[in-house]
Order: sequence, then C-alpha cells, then structure tokens
Amino acid sequence: MSSEEEDYKIIVDNVYKTFNVYLDRANTVKEKLLFLFSRNKKEKREVLKGVSLKIKKGEAVGLIGVNGSGKSTLLKLMTKIIYPNKGKIETKGKLTSLLELGAGFHPDFSGRENIYFNASIFGLTKKEIDDRLDKIIEFSELQDFIDNPVRTYSSGMYMRLAFAVAINVDADILLIDEILSVGDEHFQNKCFEKMKQLKEQGKTMVFVTHSMQSVKNLCNRAIWLCDGKIKMDGNTDEVVDAYIESTK
Amino acid sequence: MLDVFKNLYNYRELLKTSVKKEIRGKYKNSFLGVLWSFLNPLLQIAVYALIFQGILKNPQENYAIFLCAALIPWTFFSTTISRSAFNCIENGNIIKKVYFPREILPISIVTSEAVNFLISTIIIIAFVIFGGLGVSKYIVFYPIILFAQYIMLIGLSLIVSSICVYLRDLQHFIGIFLQLMFYATPIVYSLDSISPNLKWILELNPMTHIINGYRSIFYYQTFPNLKVIFILIAISIILCVIGYLIFNKLQKGFAEQL
Repeated sequence: MSSEEEDYKIIVDNVYKTFNVYLDRANTVKEKLLFLFSRNKKEKREVLKGVSLKIKKGEAVGLIGVNGSGKSTLLKLMTKIIYPNKGKIETKGKLTSLLELGAGFHPDFSGRENIYFNASIFGLTKKEIDDRLDKIIEFSELQDFIDNPVRTYSSGMYMRLAFAVAINVDADILLIDEILSVGDEHFQNKCFEKMKQLKEQGKTMVFVTHSMQSVKNLCNRAIWLCDGKIKMDGNTDEVVDAYIESTK
Repeated sequence: MLDVFKNLYNYRELLKTSVKKEIRGKYKNSFLGVLWSFLNPLLQIAVYALIFQGILKNPQENYAIFLCAALIPWTFFSTTISRSAFNCIENGNIIKKVYFPREILPISIVTSEAVNFLISTIIIIAFVIFGGLGVSKYIVFYPIILFAQYIMLIGLSLIVSSICVYLRDLQHFIGIFLQLMFYATPIVYSLDSISPNLKWILELNPMTHIINGYRSIFYYQTFPNLKVIFILIAISIILCVIGYLIFNKLQKGFAEQL
C-alpha cells in the first residue's frame, strides 16, 4: 500500500472552500463593531464543493472549465496560498507556481536581482541560483535588458523572465495558471518544448487554461470542473471533447 | 516545532534577500542616502537635548550621552513595531500570489532593523569616546542585551503584523501607544528620578530593563543587571512561541483578507 501512496504527488481529499464576499468590507475596529449589529452585506460563495483527486508523479494535468468554476481556487489551494474550509490537501516535494505575471518581482530592481529574489521565494539558495543564472537569462532571451529595472519591461518580457525562473527551479511540481497567453508564438513554442521535457523527466504539472489546444498538446489527463465539482476526469481528448461539446 | 526551523532554513536565501532589500530600499530614493541612518538619530538627540536639558534643565551629567545610549535602542524598538504594522499589508501582492513561509516577513523586518541598530551603535560609541567617558569593558554584554531585544521584537512583530492584517486601524493605535511607551520608558529621564510609588509601573515595562542594560554598559559603565536580562530572554522566548501560534493561525487567511 505504501509504495502506491508514495506515487501520488498531489492528494486533494474532499475539499470545500467558501469565500466570504463582503460587498462593503469592515477593515477598522469601528466598522467591525458596527457590522456586529447590522451584519448585512456579506455573502457566502461556495467555490469548491467537495473536490477529491489524486495526481501521480509525472502526470501533466489540465484543469478546464468555464470562468468561476473554481479552477484557480483549486490551484491556489494546492500552492498553500489559501487554505480549505474543509478537507485536506497534501503535496509532496518542492513546488513552484506561476499564478500571475511577475508575482514577487520588485519593479525597481534589475532583472538580474529579480531572478535572485524570485528564485529565493521558491526556496532556492544563493549557490543554486548562481548555478542556474545563465540558463535562466538564456531562456528568457533578455540578455540585453537583464540589468535594467523590470519596471521598464514590456508585459511580454515580464512573462519571459517569470517563466524562465519558474521553469528552471527544478521543482517536483509545477502549477501554472493561464499565463502562457502572453508572449509571442516563438516563446510559447519554446515553453511548450521545455514543459514536455520536464514531463519526460518525471515532473508533475497542473495547468489552468482556456486554450484547449495546449491542453491537448501537453496533458495526458484533463479534469473538468463545473460549479465547484469535478464533472469529468480522465483522458485528455475525451474530456476536452465533451467540454467543447457542452459549451456549444 | 522543529519543522518551523527547518522550513526557515530552507528559505534562508529569501530571508537574506529580503533583509537586504529592506535595508537598501529604505534610503534608496533619498538624496543623502545611508547618511540618514546617522543624521536622523543625531538630529533627534539634538532636539531632545535642547528641550530636556536646555529648556527643562535636566541635571543629568553628560546628558547627550545619557540620551544617546537610550534613544538609539528605543528607535530600534519603535521603528520595528511600527513597520511591523504595515509589513504584511505592504507585501500583500506577493502574499496573494506566491507561497513562502509568511513568518519570513516579520523576521526580516526585525533583522533588518537590528542591522540598522548595529550600525547606529557606532553613534553611541562615538558619543562616549568624544564625550570623554571612553568605552568600558562592560561592552562585552552588548550582544546579550541586543539578543534579548531581538527575541522580544520577533515575538511582538509576529503578533502585530498578523493582527494588523485583520484590523487595519490598529496602526493608528500603535502610533499613539509607542508615543506613550516613549515616556513610560526611562529615555529622557533616569529611572531613579521617579518617585518610588510610580517606579513599579515602569519596571513592568520590558523596554525599561533593556534601556537600563544599554545605559549601564555605555553610560554608567557598570555591570548590567544580567538577572533581569535573562528573565527577559526567557519571557521573550515564550512570547515568540505564542506569537508564532497566533501568526500561524492568522496567516491562513492573509491571502483572502488582503
């Protein structure tokens, strides 16, 4: 039993997540006190309603579904940015996530400094970053701009740098949320190539995307989320086709 | 508990970079740059010396040194607390998007302020040398007092920075509270000049003992009251544990609150 359990890199066990949506949020003590008496303007939004899934080592999983179906929330739960109200999430090994463009970049620092800062957020030591620096710069194709402050970068350059760092961290698990849409054809292809390579190396990946083409290209498993529940889980082509059929 | 330290050790590079970022970012856009870390306390000492000695006629000998040995450690305390209040809110952008051990944030604030304090200690030493007192051998106790203050601040910073995410206007209370604390700590006056029936209140204030410690080694040049300092370290360690428990409980909701 134990060897089978160890194969799983991500275990999501019956997870519920509810957000309190404050239409008018109480941030101060006075407002909090007043809200105690009036307590209106608060809505509970159940985003995930009992999701369970297990992802094995070396799997590339695409999370698909319409807007608001809970894909990004599930991804955030996996990265431990937010925590579930009920249920358990377990991930094993080093984890890297790319949730938003240039998260954890400091605009006034140069590209090079941001590589250090960003990679250290992912838990790398100085020496590990030193070893990867050339690879990261080369992958980002930003050699000429690497010492400029990143506030001068275009969004494409931002994305290239962010991606180059995340992909060179050598994490066991890579979580990516809808960011590949930025960047030109050439760089997108390069990213896909690299991700295929990582997949072959036995890394585990989870993507959130609306591009069915890239899901089909890259993933060997797709999970269709609908209204906070798993509607379908299985072979990429079947799930994607069923999903496309439903949206017609 | 061991996991906490293991996790922090794994993220030591992040801790280092953010401490560096804090120190460097502080004066990056100002004309006089690092000079401010010297100029600021000097000007403060000048102002207080003018008021309390020049105008209010405080009889203390070598008043500037007396003041300096207390004011600079106090600044370490008060800037750390007030920066902790904004700490997590300022870093909301990163908190919402990437995972890392959140306790790195308060720890790096305290550590960067401790480094600032270490640099500012040069001022105290310059004052005692040029003021004619000279550096005493009791300076060997400096690291112990600094350690006590550091541990205490870690505990406080964990609590303040996490609660401020939920109660934003606590920041304003902290400003007032620090002002009150400034006068409830023997900085511009000495503890002995206070009447005995009020003295016990000041003795409940941990900063009183920290300040007295620094003052003993720099100004009075006597043996600091180490017993009190060690009690303070023990209390501070307990405070850190409590602070961590509070922080850890509250940090789970950070991304949703910010």
